[in-house]
Amino acid sequence: MSVSAQPGGPRSVTTSHEVVVTHEDLDRAYDRARVSAARNRRGFRSRMWLMWLLIGPGILAMLGENDGPSMLSYAATGAKFGVGFFVPFVVLTFAMALVVQEMTVRLGAATHRGHAELIFERFGPFWGWFSMIDLGIGNFLTLITEFIAIRAGLGFFGIPPWAAVLIALAVLYSALLSHRYWTWERVTLAAAAFNLIFIPVALLAHPHWGAVGHALVSWKPLPPVGKDTLLIILSDIGATVTPWMLFFQQSATVDKGLTIKDIHFGRLDTLLGAALAALAALATILATAPLFHHISADNFEAAQFAEALKPFIGRFGAGLFALGMVEAGIVASITISTSSAYAFGEVAQRPHSLNLPMGEGKSFYSVLALCAAAAAAIVLIPGLPLVFVVLVVNVVAVLAMPPALVFLYLLVNDQEIMGEVRSPKWANALAAAVVVLLTAAGILYGVSAVAPNAFAWLGR
Amino acid sequence: MTHLDQHERIAGPAAAEWVLSELEEDQLVEAKITPVPRRRLGRGELVLLWALRVYLIFMMVVVFWQAWTAR
Repeated sequence: MSVSAQPGGPRSVTTSHEVVVTHEDLDRAYDRARVSAARNRRGFRSRMWLMWLLIGPGILAMLGENDGPSMLSYAATGAKFGVGFFVPFVVLTFAMALVVQEMTVRLGAATHRGHAELIFERFGPFWGWFSMIDLGIGNFLTLITEFIAIRAGLGFFGIPPWAAVLIALAVLYSALLSHRYWTWERVTLAAAAFNLIFIPVALLAHPHWGAVGHALVSWKPLPPVGKDTLLIILSDIGATVTPWMLFFQQSATVDKGLTIKDIHFGRLDTLLGAALAALAALATILATAPLFHHISADNFEAAQFAEALKPFIGRFGAGLFALGMVEAGIVASITISTSSAYAFGEVAQRPHSLNLPMGEGKSFYSVLALCAAAAAAIVLIPGLPLVFVVLVVNVVAVLAMPPALVFLYLLVNDQEIMGEVRSPKWANALAAAVVVLLTAAGILYGVSAVAPNAFAWLGR
Repeated sequence: MTHLDQHERIAGPAAAEWVLSELEEDQLVEAKITPVPRRRLGRGELVLLWALRVYLIFMMVVVFWQAWTAR
């Protein structure tokens, strides 16, 4: 093949077939070459190395979704309902997330296109813009709550809000400095691992393991039926399945360069992410379960939970809890702002990759940085109804999921773009069940909100 | 040093050939400039999408109103 230089830049070259190879392609090819080399070797260690190379988007999507409002939701669940129905319920929500996110892996690996890009191109801008509006509103509200969590968590250690927000932004921006997807992914994975900090917090709370085992098997004791319970159900679902995860994991799968051959590892990555995130979520419920029957945790912020937990788990444990909230907020602010930047780039047809040098990816990095900076600035404005944002964010996520899932369902069943990795019937049945469950939960909440006495006959 | 290390981040014709050998054709940035062909939505799909759109807008109003009055 003859190759000639491209006048566009020193890192671009053009083949005789007019195929332009960009800096982004070079970086991705480098990552793929390591994958190919690992795949060609035999033995357990090589398989483990291959897995290490291919994991990332799934774990980041799942642990990224264990964000500020999610951890607050789990904390409220433990404090309001103790150990019971919600322990297996949270496991179920992560199983739902696994079903949904697995589809994004296949879609990304088969099409090499982002989620927003596919919706726009396949179904047209009319439906594409609806999806983008849902994503934009959801992402921005969620980003605000991440900075609320960071502010509250660092506030526990006496750090003023402006400093807390600046620290978070500094971490977010420094993760981008390498201009390499691989480096960004590893740095963010390292940060996300701290989500497991809630496990030692739970151990400090000395949970009754017999009750935990009984709850996991029997789903009992059941919570009282009423709007509060419905809100927590919706909030816990919104804590595990949200539209930004779809957009993020698919775009990250494409940016990482996964192909159909890697789908098996993409699934393992998503399963591992779901398992780790479920562990952290359950740990948070167990950590705050001692508050059950002791205090009313309605509308608690992160720092208030940490303070309330001090008599039960000590100052060290409470400090770990507050740090966990900070970590949750920082990792989610990184992944959510990245999902916004990917979607913007895909729709606006601008370069969109974490492999882009700053000069080539100005719009991508600008959207990413500005989204985070705007959300951070809003948190510092005195007198804004931030509790309102925290209250609605997870519920909004649940409500926005059914339309997003229908697009995902249509895309993964699209023979023309999916070919041999089109969804099998069992996957479709599971996806349909998730859509029905999410829609039903939303409608039940709507009924309870519009007619508060509708469930009076069932109990509180 | 493996053969990969020798190719590491080398710009120019050799790198281009190497990139084309490592990536699938439709993974190249340039391949993504060509849009995926448009697909017509069926009547049932359109009804479902509109129903969910109405559901979403209605529920958003309910949730925002509820949360605002509960502050």
